[in-house]
Amino acid sequence: MSGKRKGLAASAVLAFCALAAPADAAVDDYVTLSGFGTLGTVHSDYTQADFIATVSQPRGAGYSRSWSVTPDSDLGGQANISLSDQLSGVVQVLSRDTADGNFKPTVEWANLKYDFTPDIAVRLGRILLPTYEHADIRNVGYSLPWVRVPVEITYASTATHSDGVDVLYRLRTGAVTQDIQLQWGTTQLDLPGLDFTLNSAHIGLFSDTLRYGNASLHLVYQQTDPSQNPPGRLRMVAVGFAYEPGPWFLSIDSNRTRNGYYGELLAWYVSAGMRVGHFAPYAFYSATHQETLGTSALTSLGNQHTVAAGVRWDFARNFDLKFQVEQVTIASLDDPASFANLQPGARAGDKAHVVSLALDFLF
Amino acid sequence: MKSSSHMKFSALGALILAVLLAANARAEDIVVIVNPASAPLSKEQVADIYLARNTAWTPIDQAAGSSIYSEFYKKATGRDAAQVKAIWSKILFTGRGVPPKQLLDSTAVKKAVAANPKAVGYIEKSAVDASVKVILPIS
Repeated sequence: MSGKRKGLAASAVLAFCALAAPADAAVDDYVTLSGFGTLGTVHSDYTQADFIATVSQPRGAGYSRSWSVTPDSDLGGQANISLSDQLSGVVQVLSRDTADGNFKPTVEWANLKYDFTPDIAVRLGRILLPTYEHADIRNVGYSLPWVRVPVEITYASTATHSDGVDVLYRLRTGAVTQDIQLQWGTTQLDLPGLDFTLNSAHIGLFSDTLRYGNASLHLVYQQTDPSQNPPGRLRMVAVGFAYEPGPWFLSIDSNRTRNGYYGELLAWYVSAGMRVGHFAPYAFYSATHQETLGTSALTSLGNQHTVAAGVRWDFARNFDLKFQVEQVTIASLDDPASFANLQPGARAGDKAHVVSLALDFLF
Repeated sequence: MKSSSHMKFSALGALILAVLLAANARAEDIVVIVNPASAPLSKEQVADIYLARNTAWTPIDQAAGSSIYSEFYKKATGRDAAQVKAIWSKILFTGRGVPPKQLLDSTAVKKAVAANPKAVGYIEKSAVDASVKVILPIS
């Protein structure tokens, strides 16, 4: 039904990028145009539900179709504008399969940044939320070690950006660098377990990334006050750790979300990988689990766990190809994180075997 | 018979060429340079600057795909070109900055460093002159 529209939307973004690409030298100093994309296909052997790549997608692979290109494919274009040494702007347009079930381009980023010093900056406009370790690059496949960010960690906070203001502060104490971010704004929010209708929320976020050499610790507190559903404030605390010396990496991330209606949700993953020439094999274990009950009748919201392994192949400049296999175990039927369109035949304990192939590129 | 001896010969030729190239590459030591007016930097600081962890300096790149580019990143940061690209694309697409400008050759890098006290560059040792200050050998 919307195939034609999808094609149109994608070609609109492509045309925008193509037009933008041959910038002349004079403009080049002020405007940097760039883009990213993923052409992905995913197969799931589980026919009682659709495997999806982000929580808000309405369909994927498994039930609707055996193979699907919609979960992982996306295309983004970005313009960085440098107005003076202190003032810069960024606009990013993204086309991806969303809650509406189409690839209609949306503005992910649109803000002005003013650098008071090299270490203090303020941004005004639409700003991505750094809720978890890779949240702000979740759509840039090339920058991710995996085909996609483990879905479990994204489950409780599906809002990607907020419209408002943030303050960035970099603090150096000896060999430790801290990147502190304070963000306020409003967002259109898609929450799990609900119909994906427009619902606005106020978001406040504090994030601190401490870096010592190749090790980094990521701490986040995020509070969300939805205007309608679910009732009450969602409070999330996230702790992540990464060690990336170059030849290998270790990445651990976790978050705990508390809400009177949903109860308490815990999500985490552990991932490791290495670099062998142009290849980067990796594995991860990822889980989400409802810890305590809220006032809703949902007793095990999102519950599932994933074991995955894959390899990234950097076969050409600005391109990589990834192959990933995973087994997802559905621990409950209350909206398991990786699935949409759950069918009556689905049972807790069911396992889905998923194969993904993704081509990531930058331009 | 004939083709096999031909192959042996070309294999030997390739080996000699490889040895020569390796010797040549070793001869071309890389040095990190800053503006003569600037303070020196440690190897860790240089790695941080080129891995987008220190925005107080302006890193200047050689052309991606050039041998000095890959050599520099391998030795100064322990990362290959694709890993470096992934790191900078993360900075770019999170709106935190723009990847280093890639200049055509060492002459252009020297010129850029000489003109900006916040700039850092890397060039062949043989290309060093009085317009810039060497702060670190990369080996």
